[in-house]
Amino acid sequence: MIQLTNVSKIYLNGARALVDVNLKIGKGSFVFLVGPSGAGKSTLIKLLYREETPTRGQVQINSKNLVRMKDREVPYLRRNIGVIFQDFKLLPNKTVFENVAFALEVIGVAKSEVRNRTLATLELVGLKAKETAYPHELSGGEQQRVCVARAIINNPALLVADEPTGNLDPDTAWDIMELLYDINKRGTTIVMATHARAIVNKMQKRVIAIENGRVARDEEKGGYGYDA
Amino acid sequence: MLNSSGYIFRETINSMKRNPWLSLASVVTVMVSLVILGYSIFFLANAANMAKSFESELEIGAFVQIEYTPEEVQDLKSQIEQMPGVESVTLVTKEQALEEFGKTIGGSQGNIVSDVGGTNPFPDKLTVKVTDPQNVKALASSLESNPGLYKVRYGQDFVDQLLKFTQWLRWIGFGVVAAFGVAAVVLISINVKMNVFSRRREIQIMKLVGASNSFIRWPFLIEGLALGLAGGTLAAVIVGLGYNWITVYVQSTLTFLPVVQNELLFRQVSIGLLLGGMVMGALGSLFSLQKFLRA
Ligand SMILES: Nc1ncnc2c1ncn2[C@@H]1O[C@H](COP(=O)(O)OP(=O)(O)OP(=O)(O)O)[C@@H](O)[C@H]1O
Ligand SMILES: [Mg+2]
Repeated sequence: MIQLTNVSKIYLNGARALVDVNLKIGKGSFVFLVGPSGAGKSTLIKLLYREETPTRGQVQINSKNLVRMKDREVPYLRRNIGVIFQDFKLLPNKTVFENVAFALEVIGVAKSEVRNRTLATLELVGLKAKETAYPHELSGGEQQRVCVARAIINNPALLVADEPTGNLDPDTAWDIMELLYDINKRGTTIVMATHARAIVNKMQKRVIAIENGRVARDEEKGGYGYDA
Repeated sequence: MLNSSGYIFRETINSMKRNPWLSLASVVTVMVSLVILGYSIFFLANAANMAKSFESELEIGAFVQIEYTPEEVQDLKSQIEQMPGVESVTLVTKEQALEEFGKTIGGSQGNIVSDVGGTNPFPDKLTVKVTDPQNVKALASSLESNPGLYKVRYGQDFVDQLLKFTQWLRWIGFGVVAAFGVAAVVLISINVKMNVFSRRREIQIMKLVGASNSFIRWPFLIEGLALGLAGGTLAAVIVGLGYNWITVYVQSTLTFLPVVQNELLFRQVSIGLLLGGMVMGALGSLFSLQKFLRA
């Protein structure tokens, strides 16, 4: 479903974030992106939801070419891609319900449908009871669940996550990983950049290691690989 | 879009509450520019109207050489009466002119003569009525070549001056309106930009979850339009009421001045001011939205 062909990304300041990357990621797979800081993981993630475009090469998702895609088509691509961040990116003056419903409201979904789908998704991530709470009233793990709920409410085919457990303690991190595991089981492809060694080692999923912008290792059922 | 109208409306109200002073400044600038525009239009309409009514005056004023005796003046008068195209000639003697002048400033005749330097400064004046307005110019120029007359005045003179003046006024009015218009557009654009800035997190998430660019833009566009429309509405009210008041005042004091009271013009100007406000608003928002919404 995802295909990167000879992708290089050089930022305007000259930083070579990705160098000649070739990748294929199948539908329904769960992929960890690992590698040292500054290796290019976040850059690769950004190419997938077209926050950035490559300097050279092609990025395809479901046979759609993201490089040739026009700016006005991008919103429709993103409705089919969920994005999760380390810092959650919740709106502080909206409740849990409103934060999640927001993702539907702004793409013009009917009000009655917004309510039903939001409640169902909150149920799925285990936050039904916190519906009326504001982000500052939640723990980090709960805030990340809100972010996950917002990312998956449109049933995206692809979920990308950039260090989703980076701000969480190990137990809470595992809760989030279980949630992502369930979402993957329901058919959603997941690409997750992470530094969480224990999680990568335990989950035994495909691991792509990036170093200096190049793919250094690509293993099915791999481990984190870097010694502490 | 129907499902989003509630959202857009809420956002518009919220954004105005966020920067009330800036919003007020934008509205007032739009208003000032349009008030000036409105009054300029009415003034020009009146000037044109006045020019027309003076053009249709059939009179020529001819001033007789100051050293002419009353007999010579009478001769001249009957000479002019014989000219083709002349309907009648009336004489206003220098004494009558002085008396008239004395009446307008008050006081006795003798005092005035001494006040103005011992001699009557007024010339004898012949008012020539013409049968056909087409002939005014030709007749006036043949009177000008008459040695007994030192000065000939007719409507066209005044009309020319008036037209020249309105030409000037048109440019000055245009300049002032343009200056204020630009200021208004800039203020609205700052207004919208500040709201974009204060909502940048929200916009970032909207883009992330796939809100279309037009959806993200709408609240800001409507905000600009609302500011412009508010200014336009105030301007229409001020120009309308003010013009009405001026009309009543002029008609009761300067009764000889023809005042334009045209329902259609009134309506056109009002609608024009509202549209003008909206255009300024739309321009303001478009300027500030141009670059921040590229995917
Ligand atoms: N917007 C940007 N402009 C310029 N250079 C950038 C930009 N984003 C990233 N870079 C550079 O590109 C390289 C790769 O950065 P990237 O964020 O992809 O690394 P990463 O693997 O995600 O690192 P980390 O594990 O620390 O998050 C780095 O050298 C970084 O400085
Ligand atoms: Mg990163």
